[in-house]
Amino acid sequence: MRNVLERILNLLAFLLTANRAVSAEEIRHTVAGYDRENDQAFQRMFSRDKDMLRRLGIPLETTTTGSLEIEYGYKIDPDSYRLPETDLSDQERAALWFAAQVVRIGGQPTGADAILKLGGSQLESGLEPFAANLGSDVDVLADLYSASAEHRLVSFHYGESKRTVAPHGLGHRRGHWYLVGSTDRGTRVYRVDRISDLSSGEADGFVRDPDIDVGRELDTQPWEAGSEEPVTATIRFTPEIAWWAERRLGREPLERVERPDGSLDVSIEVTNRAAFIGWVLGFTDQAEVLGPPALRQAIIEHIAGAA
Amino acid sequence: MSDRTASRLTRILAMLPWVIANPGADVDEVCERFGYTRKELIRDLDLVFVCGLPGYGPGDLMVAYVEEDRVVVDTADYFAQAPRLTAAEGLALLASGMTVMATGQGSDVLASAVDKLGTALVPEGHDILTVDVSAEHDLGSVLRSAVIDGKVVEIVYTTLSRGDTTTRLIEPWTVFTSLGNWYVSAFCRTSQAERIFRLDRIQRVIETKERFEPPAAPPEPEVRYTPSEEDVVATIRLRRPAFWVSDYYPVEIVSEDGDSRTVRFSAYDPSVAAQLLVRLGGDATLLEGDEVRAAVDQLRARLLARYSL
Repeated sequence: MRNVLERILNLLAFLLTANRAVSAEEIRHTVAGYDRENDQAFQRMFSRDKDMLRRLGIPLETTTTGSLEIEYGYKIDPDSYRLPETDLSDQERAALWFAAQVVRIGGQPTGADAILKLGGSQLESGLEPFAANLGSDVDVLADLYSASAEHRLVSFHYGESKRTVAPHGLGHRRGHWYLVGSTDRGTRVYRVDRISDLSSGEADGFVRDPDIDVGRELDTQPWEAGSEEPVTATIRFTPEIAWWAERRLGREPLERVERPDGSLDVSIEVTNRAAFIGWVLGFTDQAEVLGPPALRQAIIEHIAGAA
Repeated sequence: MSDRTASRLTRILAMLPWVIANPGADVDEVCERFGYTRKELIRDLDLVFVCGLPGYGPGDLMVAYVEEDRVVVDTADYFAQAPRLTAAEGLALLASGMTVMATGQGSDVLASAVDKLGTALVPEGHDILTVDVSAEHDLGSVLRSAVIDGKVVEIVYTTLSRGDTTTRLIEPWTVFTSLGNWYVSAFCRTSQAERIFRLDRIQRVIETKERFEPPAAPPEPEVRYTPSEEDVVATIRLRRPAFWVSDYYPVEIVSEDGDSRTVRFSAYDPSVAAQLLVRLGGDATLLEGDEVRAAVDQLRARLLARYSL
């Protein structure tokens, strides 16, 4: 391992100071630690070292070395290599380290390497009476995050169809990560855990739509996520669950009446009737749709047709 | 091997810039800050000492050693800045900070750290990341302080699938959020077993004076479903609009053709499956499972009675 570490540090020092693209052959004969006798051994070593640099987040570029564009070389731009100035204080680093300790993404505790790069902190960990698990694969999230930041178009499989989207941002809501993006047919929201075969295009591949607000796109309740003719629905919750239903509502209802027996009537605007019915039935017989009559009839038919 | 190589390299490339920026840094401080033992730090400095630029003579190699408890690094200017964060590192750290802020447990210091980090990662300042974990501030903080103090609490808890409300004594272990809901994991004295309670179904928390001995290693805070022999099993055919069920519930997919998917659903309580079936309406058909069938009939009757039919 010591030889590998020495060789990679030498390679990195050389590329950071070269100020030009250098060919594999030049690296082989200039940087200490490479095999100069056996071609295959060199290729193996060099290819592993390149992978290692990229894994550490070091921007190793492959470019042409001459005007003929037949010879390729390797380059690290010192400006892209270095961490941007963050101006974090020791207390701020410690606060981030605490956050990294208690929050998990994709089941993995993350953050130790990031904190080191940011300047280190007292890396102690203890039992915290608090934890959050944000699910999802961090690599997919990271690719979507970079694509949003660098304005790269992304293509992916979603269910059985292929989509191309201009990614505007990511958000976590109710246990899932979502991608907000614009498409030919308007703004769309995708669940990240259903995205597969993701690939990103060139940087600055689209112009951001300033009217898309990622947070606002995601803060819709199921019954609001639709474009049907709006209808005002009134629901009655039993005293047993009224307190809970009100929490679940997550917003001020249009109207709210507490009745003498403790039950609660609320009115909300619905633009997705199917989602509304599913949501209300989640409360079993502790909730009843009072009106309008057509919606009440729809829920009765839904119940009668179950199973 | 390559994991260890990666961690060692990251630590070296992070430590050198800090020492270069803080000349005469104290060994103990460097060790504490970068998680080194003294021996590990010296081993890494020895390694740096033999690396450098082509020529690899005395003027080309980096200088790195410990002298009188001070760390000395010289002629390593190309490593004067730490490498930038990978996208995954940046995202995970930022999202972690935002999560803690969203729970209401964050400090002003963290808020400013999140702000600085976000700006450094995406300079244009677009709000491309938002995290909302819907905190249950009031109950969460009461339960969290009970966890810290090791105090037994009494909770009034509603089990929605049965529609009943009970009062229980619990020994709270961890307050956590997972898949959109907040939970407290605890030893429930009333049922004499380990239990996980959803915070939004706790009506009230009453503190008691009694203390408990927390377990040395409480189980990972995680909402898990472990199938058991006593589970009721149902075979359900889903139509396409109901395919999402197999993403949300721990079901086993038995067969699938273009427009329908047959799954085996197991749960400790038939009313869980019944509630789902009623919700799905015509998009699901129960193929097998007598207990679930009975529970669906019962729930449907209760609902239709509610609508006075």
